[in-house]
Amino acid sequence: MHFHGEGPVARAVDGIDFQIHRRQTVCIVGESGCGKTVTALAVMGLLPMPPARIAGGRILFDGRSLLDLPADQWRTLRGRRIAMVFQEPMTSLNPVFTIGDQIRETILAHEALKEAQARLRTISLLNDVGIEDPERRASDYPHQLSGGQRQRAMIAMALACGPDLIIADEPTTALDVTVQAQILHLLQRLQADKQMAIQYITHDLSVVSAIADRIYVMYAGVMVEQGNPGQIFQQARHPYTRALLDALPTKEKRGQRLATIPGTVPHPAYKPSGCPFHPRCGFREPACERDFPQMCDYGDGHGARCPVIQRMGGFP
Amino acid sequence: MKSEAERTSLQGVPQPGQNVPILQVRDLKKSFPVKRGLMQRTRQLVRAVDGVDLDIAAGRTLGLVGESGCGKSTVARMILRLLKSDSGTIRFEGRVIDALSEKQFKPLRRSIQMIFQDPYSSLNPRMTVAQSIAEGVRIAGIAGRRQQRERIEELLTMVGMPPAVADRYPHEFSGGQRQRVGIARALSVAPRLILCDEPISALDVSIQAQIINLLKDLQDRLGLSYLFISHDLHVVSYICDNVCVMYRGRIVEAAPADALFDDPRHPYTHKLLASAPSLLAKAEQPPPVEARRDPLPPGACTYAQQCPEMDSACLDGPTAMHQVGPDHWVRCPPAAGKNP
Repeated sequence: MHFHGEGPVARAVDGIDFQIHRRQTVCIVGESGCGKTVTALAVMGLLPMPPARIAGGRILFDGRSLLDLPADQWRTLRGRRIAMVFQEPMTSLNPVFTIGDQIRETILAHEALKEAQARLRTISLLNDVGIEDPERRASDYPHQLSGGQRQRAMIAMALACGPDLIIADEPTTALDVTVQAQILHLLQRLQADKQMAIQYITHDLSVVSAIADRIYVMYAGVMVEQGNPGQIFQQARHPYTRALLDALPTKEKRGQRLATIPGTVPHPAYKPSGCPFHPRCGFREPACERDFPQMCDYGDGHGARCPVIQRMGGFP
Repeated sequence: MKSEAERTSLQGVPQPGQNVPILQVRDLKKSFPVKRGLMQRTRQLVRAVDGVDLDIAAGRTLGLVGESGCGKSTVARMILRLLKSDSGTIRFEGRVIDALSEKQFKPLRRSIQMIFQDPYSSLNPRMTVAQSIAEGVRIAGIAGRRQQRERIEELLTMVGMPPAVADRYPHEFSGGQRQRVGIARALSVAPRLILCDEPISALDVSIQAQIINLLKDLQDRLGLSYLFISHDLHVVSYICDNVCVMYRGRIVEAAPADALFDDPRHPYTHKLLASAPSLLAKAEQPPPVEARRDPLPPGACTYAQQCPEMDSACLDGPTAMHQVGPDHWVRCPPAAGKNP
C-alpha cells in the first residue's frame, strides 16, 4: 500500500503477509505510524484512492480476491461480512442520530427487512453487547452514553449483520481499565457465540497478551515477527519485539532504568535501506544496512525477520 | 468493633516517615451543581471530591489512580488553584495555600507546575519552543535576552533536546518531543512539585519509556516531587513510591507501592488490579458483579453497590480509613476486619 502525493512515495505498508482463520483472534501490534491502521483500512476498502494506491499483493476473503471486486460487491461485503470497530466511538458515531437509528440503518442497508423487524434486531443487538434497558437506550443520542457504552453501541453496529470478521482498531485505548476489561470480555464472548474472526489492532502489548491467538509485530510497514503469545512474549527473536517488551514499565523493574529504543519510527516516505529497524538496532551488522532481511523460521508458526539473531541462536 | 478513636482518627492519613511532606491535603471537598431543564436550576450536587487526604514527601512520587470521573484531575486543579475548593486545606511546604489571596499566592505558584496528557493541545501552536519557554524563564526572574536564551537552551538540554530546536514550532515535533518541550516549560520556573496528569498515556511504548526515564532523572537531579495521576497501573507500579486509589471522590486505599500491588486490601483495588491485563497469562476476567440498585443511606461506602464483600458495616455511616499495615490504610470495614 503506497501513498502518492507531493514528494516521495510513502510506502506505508510494504509487503506484508498475514492470515486470519475462523474463530481466531489475530493481533497486529506496532507503534503509531507503523502501518497497522492502513492495513485494516485496505482490507475494508476504505482508503481514498488516490492518493492511496495498492502497488501489489492480494487480499483474499473466504477465497475471493477483494481487490478484484467491483465497487458495489465490495460495498455489500463491507458491513455485512467484514465490519470495523474504531478507536474513538464519539467521532465515528453520528451525533445527530440516536444509536438505535444508526444500528437500524446499518441493518436496512444490507438486508431486506421490515422497519419493525429491524427495530427488534436493534434491541436484541444492544442486549447482546450488554447495554442495560436496550429499549430505552436505543433512543439515546451518542453524547448521552458513557465512553464504554458508546463502544458497546459501536460493537452492536458492527455485529448488525452477523459478520464473519471484525476488525477492531484500538477499540479500548480511550477507556478505563475496568471498562477495557469488560469490552475485551464482551468481544471474546461474542466471538465464541457467533464464531467470528477478530483482527485486533493495538499498540498495547498487555492487551495483546490477554486476547491474542496469534500476534504480528509490525514496524515501518513490515511484519518483523509473528507467532503465538508464548513465542512472542517469552522467546522473542526480533530486536524490535524484544525492545518493546524491555521498555514496558513493570513492578519488577522498579529501581532499574527502563530500556529505551533510540531514535523514532521512520517516516514511510523516508525509510532506511536494508532492514527498516537497523538505525535503532543494537544488534546491527553492516549487512543490515544493505539487505532486506528474510523471515527466519523458528518452527510452529514462529518467524522473525532478523538473520543476526538467528545466527546468534537467540538473544545473549 | 472498631474503637471510637479509630473511627475519628485523622481520616487515616499515611504518615511518610520522618520526611516533612511537601504537599499535605486534608479533607478536601468539591461539589459541582448539576443543572437541568429550561431554567438551568440546580437539581442536585455531584460530590466530585469528597474528603480527600494526600501527603507527598519531598523528593518522592505519589501515584493517584482511579477511573475517569473519580475526581483525580479535580484534585490536581484545586492544588493548582485553578479551581476553588469547597472546604478542606492544602498545605504546601507547611503553608496553607488555599487561604492565601491571589497576591500572596503568586510567588508560590511557580513552585507547583503541571504536565498535561496531550502536549499538542497544551503548547501554543503559534509560538516557537523558545517563546513558550521564555515566558517561564522571565517569570523565574531571569532578565536580559542573552541570559534568557542561555537558560532556554540549558532547559532543552536538560530534557534531552538539542538546543537548536528552540526556534521551531510544536507541529514540527513528534508526541514524545512535544512532551519533552512541555516538561522543559514546566521546569522553566524552577518548581519543586510537579503534577503529572496522565503524562505518557498518549505516547507510544518506546517513547513512554524515554519520558519515564527523563522524569526519574529530573527527580534525582533536581529533587522534584511528583503527583502522578494515571490509570495505567503498570506505570504506577514502576514509578511511584506511594499510591492512593480513588473511587467516586474518596481515597479508598493508600499504601506504599509494594504493599498496594502485593497485598491490595480494598475490593475496588482488587478489581482494578484484576482488570489490568497482565503480560504473563491470558487473564481470566472475574465475572462482573451485578450492581445493586437499592439506594444507599447517606455516608455509606460508595462502592457498596458493586462490592462482592459488602456487609452491614458498609452501610453504617461514614467509613473511615483503617490501618492494616505500615503506612497502609484502607477505607473498608470488612477488609480492615480481616486484619489480625
